[in-house]
Amino acid sequence: MIRERRRTKQENNSGIGKGNLYILTGLIIGLLLGLVISWVIAPIKYIETAPNSLRVDIKNEYRLLIAAAYHANYNLPRALARIELLSDPDPLLALTTQAQDLLKSGDINGKAFYLAYLADAIKTASISQAGISANATKLPITSTPSPTGISDGFLTGTPSFITSITPIIRLSETPIATQMSRFILKSQQIVCDSTQAELLLMIDVFDPTNLPIPGVEIIITWSNGEEHIFTGLQPEISEGYVDYLMSPNIDYGIRFASGGVSTIDLAAPDCTNNQGTAKWGGIKLVFQKP
Amino acid sequence: MVYGWVLHPVEYRDTSLVSLRYDYRTDYVLMVAEIYNSEGDAEQAIRQIAQLGNEPPVDTVIQALAYAAQMLYSPADLVMIQNLANALQTWSPTPIGINP
Repeated sequence: MIRERRRTKQENNSGIGKGNLYILTGLIIGLLLGLVISWVIAPIKYIETAPNSLRVDIKNEYRLLIAAAYHANYNLPRALARIELLSDPDPLLALTTQAQDLLKSGDINGKAFYLAYLADAIKTASISQAGISANATKLPITSTPSPTGISDGFLTGTPSFITSITPIIRLSETPIATQMSRFILKSQQIVCDSTQAELLLMIDVFDPTNLPIPGVEIIITWSNGEEHIFTGLQPEISEGYVDYLMSPNIDYGIRFASGGVSTIDLAAPDCTNNQGTAKWGGIKLVFQKP
Repeated sequence: MVYGWVLHPVEYRDTSLVSLRYDYRTDYVLMVAEIYNSEGDAEQAIRQIAQLGNEPPVDTVIQALAYAAQMLYSPADLVMIQNLANALQTWSPTPIGINP
């Protein structure tokens, strides 16, 4: 009797053990099947995504395309609506950073200019808007239809209206090269008293009314190379400012891509002081459109 | 499901231009058309459109044109996309290094 009970108990125990093993095996097989299905047979496919989910490098290309399109059509509300789709925390910073990165990497195709140009337009629009607010002048809100109907991040056929900014449309569509074709050297100054200016070539470009001009392409040349730089990428200094770090004992030439000023030859000045401490200085050039 | 849909839903990131929604694709094509209209560089336009997928760029532009017309884009925009489509249809690559 007791033996039979023990045997029955043992059988029951082994039955429970088998049951647990089956469950565990089932779970493992299920997990493996799930992984095979989700990774191999039917992997996730991204469809109907928005520009803000693009990979960083593709997003940069998209931003560049927006800037180039703006340079083509001068339609700031449209460019702003497109920039908004990228959900950059600071669109202006994104544009200038990308332009600077492009310049650092050589910018063979001269694309940094487009980014700087759009950044300048956005900044000008913001300043204009701030100025309007500061003057507290009640101006009629200019509602500009967004041609592509960009609304709430969706593009629809129903024209939407952007009322948050007063668009500054560039009335003159004269090519930049013509706009900036003539500059004269207004002043040239050697800077020896600042360590920050060491070997620095600092250039300021102004229009006839003494307003700084961003987006001006300047070509720095030396015996076996050249580099293109643009004003306006350091707006915290000035919209018309650009600098270039020279190497000692090299003669540089400077000219505007649009022509105008003929090449100016210069080199980093030797600012060795009376005590004989060797030090290189900087050069500050001011150009103005007459 | 609660975990997957509510607590930790799928976030789309690091996607490519191929997966863009149709309205964004159309706006992308419009941007390329605007640049082409200004610069007239068909080769550059083809390179840019080709990033939207494996379809022939002309087909992509024609599809975008149809969508833009359906969504009542402005006539000026439609003309620009149409011009781009025409340019891509007639464009042929410049042969390089062919010697008689």
